[in-house]
Amino acid sequence: MSLDRIANKVIETDVLVIGGGMGGCPVSAKAREHGLTVTMMEKAKPERSGSGSVGLDHHGGPFPREGLTVLDLVERDVKMFERIGMPLPDVNIRYQVIANAFWAMEEMEKLGASMMWDDGKPNFVPSAYGGPRVGLRVHFQNVKPKLAAASRKRGVDILERTVAIDLLTNGERVVGATGVNIRTGQFIVVKARATIIGTGSFNRNYEPETPQTWVHKHRYNFCPASICGDGLAMAYRAGAELVSMDQVAGMPTFRHRDDLSEPFGNFVQNDGVPLKCYTWNGKEISFPNYARYYELEKKGLTPIYFSLEHLSEDYMKRVDVCTTEERFISLKMAEDRGFDRLTHRYESMPPHPMGLQHRVSGIRSDEFSKTSLKGLHVIGDSMAGDGGGSGASTTGLLLGDSIHDDISEADEPVIDPDQVESQKQIMLAPLSRQEGTMPLELECAVRYACGFYGGVLHAEGKLREGLRRLATLQREFLPKLTVKNPHYLIGYLEVRNIIELSILEMQAIMERKETRGNFIRTDYPNRDPAMDGKIICQSLLDGRPVIEVKDQIGLKPEYGEARK
Amino acid sequence: MGRQGNNMAAKIEFKNCNGCGLCYDRCPQDVIAWDEDKDMPVVAYEEECWHCGICWMECPKRAIDIVYPVSFW
Repeated sequence: MSLDRIANKVIETDVLVIGGGMGGCPVSAKAREHGLTVTMMEKAKPERSGSGSVGLDHHGGPFPREGLTVLDLVERDVKMFERIGMPLPDVNIRYQVIANAFWAMEEMEKLGASMMWDDGKPNFVPSAYGGPRVGLRVHFQNVKPKLAAASRKRGVDILERTVAIDLLTNGERVVGATGVNIRTGQFIVVKARATIIGTGSFNRNYEPETPQTWVHKHRYNFCPASICGDGLAMAYRAGAELVSMDQVAGMPTFRHRDDLSEPFGNFVQNDGVPLKCYTWNGKEISFPNYARYYELEKKGLTPIYFSLEHLSEDYMKRVDVCTTEERFISLKMAEDRGFDRLTHRYESMPPHPMGLQHRVSGIRSDEFSKTSLKGLHVIGDSMAGDGGGSGASTTGLLLGDSIHDDISEADEPVIDPDQVESQKQIMLAPLSRQEGTMPLELECAVRYACGFYGGVLHAEGKLREGLRRLATLQREFLPKLTVKNPHYLIGYLEVRNIIELSILEMQAIMERKETRGNFIRTDYPNRDPAMDGKIICQSLLDGRPVIEVKDQIGLKPEYGEARK
Repeated sequence: MGRQGNNMAAKIEFKNCNGCGLCYDRCPQDVIAWDEDKDMPVVAYEEECWHCGICWMECPKRAIDIVYPVSFW
């Protein structure tokens, strides 16, 4: 059967970008500047989608400056991630991001995202904790509308409200993807010479902050990035390798009393002044790691709080400016609740199974975004080992500037209509069922299983039970999902990916039989020296899951030589 | 009441709404649909709202309020 008869719409393009966020918009715009045709598939609308949708208050860089070379910053990054037990899968990715930080800053300006502060100059900020982040404070409340406008102006074909179903493959080459418009139900096939995944990270198998408010209710206030790992799951099914799925850790987020959260960056990236940390009864302590937090809990000294009282009033005003630029709604919420920034305490998120995130997990690629599959590239948080708005925009800009080289080498992509038809049937199945389980209900069950049996404190018994439950949910309930209209297909396709990645995460955690930094196996309480510099890799080989322990990829000699 | 529903996360004050469609256009979760008969936005998928506040930010008439569920308190 011809593609035109299976699909409502067939698009042929040089580059397909899945995800229109902080990485997707820059890569699309840059690829267009090189004369390529670009189609962007975005499940929302790029003007307000992804982790930059509500704004950003900082651009991480980090920027080499004041005696800190690129290599200094790379080394500090490597050490920081090692200290928290999270080896960077490929150090060269960090090198590229840091080495190109200033170039990316200039390119973002060209796309309309002003990197300058009120005085027209870049506002660099030191880290309060001596870490590697030497970032930039930015007025980014409207960064997404600006980046989206840059993509539109350059002629990127934007498929809004279109969620990707799966990648299309031809042997070991990716030749495009299928998608569905959640407002019209239109089934779309995109045939592409190159496909770029920029769908962000995978964190949605854990409650973000507090337990769900009522049945089937999401709890992702402030940041509507979907973080369900669509790109990771699609790439895995297509044969790409996922890395470091075992590495899940808490986000060091502040909470105003209960769950009014503030992004961490707001505070630590201002004047380089460390915040003071206190036990609930006022004893000053140093900021604890997970193990230390549990010691405090045993002694009855939690929750712990941060205080800003020792900081200047000028600093406080700047905190407000930062909040205005990122998570603007939190100002309203603070006001509604009578929260006073000067006198009230900020509770620190405890290391429980909430707000967990995969900071270094993702699709394996080299520092030029190439994956093991021909025609498939990855940027931003979907990459294994990079993240944040600055990582996403820099990797996106770099790839947008170079992908034409790969396109010119690419043969005409050939699409298998049977594969398209099977992906269409996956999409149609829940629409045809009159009765069944709602996707959000299943997602809540997955989050419960992950939080209870995965989370922070790992042990084989819990992991086995968690895997059993997840496998049951996947086997018994995924095929019984029902949706009333195309809108709900987004939740259906997301939960399909969330279950798949949750299982992979627990399998990876099972494989790491040690305790390292914030990765805690209560049944293996010591660090295993044999796992130094090792990362866990997962892929499908002839349809069967394969899990392997591989070496972290260190800095290439040619980059290291830059020091000489 | 002039408000959309009783227990909604995003509430639209139709008295102030000018029907510009920005909230429908920008909501990342597709929570807001368009009522063709009234030519006005409608909070159609309230249970999926993440309280991100984009509709509230974007609304030129301040016709939208975000109401927090009890567990936020």
